Amino acid sequence: MAEFLIRRVLQAVLVLFLVSIVTFGLMHLAPGGPIQMNIAPGQSPAAIQQQIHNLGLDKPVPVQYYEWLGRLAHGDFGTTFKAPIPVSALLWPALKNTLILMTTSWLITLAIAIPWGIYNSTRQYGLSDNTAALIGYAGFAMPAFWFGIIMQVTFSLKLDLLPLSDMYSRGQEGNIISLIQHMILPVTVLVVIGLAGYLRYARASMLDVLGQDYVRTARAKGVSERKVLFKHALRNALIPIITILGLDLPGIVAGATLTETVFNWPGMGRLFVDMAFAREYSVLMAITIMITVVVIAGNLLADFLYALVDPRVQVGARGGDV
Amino acid sequence: MASPEQSGVTQMAKDMATEFSSTPESIWTQAWKRFRSNWLAMGGLVVLTAFILIAIFAKQIAPFNPAKIDLLNADAPPGAGHILGTDLIGRDVLSRLIFGSQVSLLVGFLVAAGAVLLGTIIGAIAGYFGGWIDTVLMRFIDVMLSFPSLFLNILVLSIFGSNFLYLILILVFTGWMGVARLVRGSFLQLREMQYVEAAKAIGVSHWEIMFNHLLRNATAPIIVTATLGVGGAILNESGLSFLGLGVQPPATSWGQMLFNAHEYMLSNPVLAVYPGACIFLTCLAVNFIGDGIRDAFDPRQKTRIPKGRIAAWRARYSKSRA
Repeated sequence: MAEFLIRRVLQAVLVLFLVSIVTFGLMHLAPGGPIQMNIAPGQSPAAIQQQIHNLGLDKPVPVQYYEWLGRLAHGDFGTTFKAPIPVSALLWPALKNTLILMTTSWLITLAIAIPWGIYNSTRQYGLSDNTAALIGYAGFAMPAFWFGIIMQVTFSLKLDLLPLSDMYSRGQEGNIISLIQHMILPVTVLVVIGLAGYLRYARASMLDVLGQDYVRTARAKGVSERKVLFKHALRNALIPIITILGLDLPGIVAGATLTETVFNWPGMGRLFVDMAFAREYSVLMAITIMITVVVIAGNLLADFLYALVDPRVQVGARGGDV
Repeated sequence: MASPEQSGVTQMAKDMATEFSSTPESIWTQAWKRFRSNWLAMGGLVVLTAFILIAIFAKQIAPFNPAKIDLLNADAPPGAGHILGTDLIGRDVLSRLIFGSQVSLLVGFLVAAGAVLLGTIIGAIAGYFGGWIDTVLMRFIDVMLSFPSLFLNILVLSIFGSNFLYLILILVFTGWMGVARLVRGSFLQLREMQYVEAAKAIGVSHWEIMFNHLLRNATAPIIVTATLGVGGAILNESGLSFLGLGVQPPATSWGQMLFNAHEYMLSNPVLAVYPGACIFLTCLAVNFIGDGIRDAFDPRQKTRIPKGRIAAWRARYSKSRA
């Protein structure tokens, strides 16, 4: 166990290095650069040069990377180029907003998908199962942001029931009622899109288990159907779902870029888009690193949960086949 | 007149006669027969063909130049001249939809083809050679999969500027991993087959074994993944265009139309409906085709027998009629 942990952490550090080097190199080797966005019209070349020098952008890229790494080691994400705002001042509020939106919709998705998927596995091709299949097909073929726009048009512009976008109504910042009103539409969109995947997983996973020999044995010896489902089958059916949960964890932190854009939700996804357009490298690097960390943590968590719920799995022995 | 049973028997005899007289059907013919009886997949094929024809003959079909700005006719309601009306700067909506299909379909098919090519090569190398090559490539795939691909797309397109070529390249680069895993998985199994040993013994080169002998046996799942990949690429393109990172005006795409429609949502919300519906229909069609192909090639596939027919059989043949 300890050996496995050490190996995984070392791997994680290596991956983190690689991702940061690639992202950093990509941004700094690109034509143009952050300075392009901040040149005032009519600025003299000398002044531009001075500005580049002040920002440290004239140093060789490896040196810049090394300095960035040094600052990161001290927990300093740097500041933005334009108006020097500390990156953390942008990052943490966005993260908080994204977490509010994503955890809510994620929990609702799971609370619906797992029981419903299990129910459907026991009554295949019934009305409920076909409805779920319909949601699945629609969810996989529909641009989530278009669904969001349709919801806005219907419930906000036509019926005038819910606010169009933003997180709070003007002058009501911090008001929880206003927040909930603003969350209904984006959460609905994210839940429907999320259901498409999770309903399938839950149903397929349960069907897989229900087809196994030990379930037949249990039924043959007269265990009640209820007990077969919830005591024998459910535990094993949850294993693959748990793995998928671990792999989906980064999405909760990264946010739903397009949904956030449609609903003007000030979260991580939108911050990333805005900062990419403004070429604020330090913010982009900070977000990239943060998400990579969560990705690795999610993978690790999935492994551990896997071993926890399934005693047959030996930690570290999980092959990556297929 | 013959009774229904008799005619059934005659039909069966006919079937058997053709079966024995002709050469055995190839798996492709069998699959096509199964595919044809799947009405969802056939419907998808019809819809997709229609969209492809529209895209090819866009110039002939479209009533107006999609990029022509006509401010005098701006925001015209649907009517005789402009069937679906015009947008806020007087461009004909129907013509834009027709021309938009070109970009969406082109991106869909090019990206799917590119991803299959790249994924097949990498997956084949990893699966065939195994060992450290496999380990390194799989690690790389893990890293690629772990990073939210939308972020990478946004990063690259915003920094390097968005044009059609970059769009295709970055979508291929973030979309090949699924195919690679699939091909690797089947190659891991196939390379242990005796015919591979035989081929090696008579001196067939690695390259030829990989792409002439092994790949043939992995074709069906690759086709399925490629088909589903088309839908994914169309959705990705629409998302990036919605963020303003896809094709740039005067070229038009459905995602770009959604971007414009969202901007002017308060004045004319209906404009957001059409392009999204086109994306939805196309992706639905592609996904149905993909599922149809998968079922058609699945040797374990079960035809679902309607409950009514089972009851009829039971009534006719069961001896333990209660």
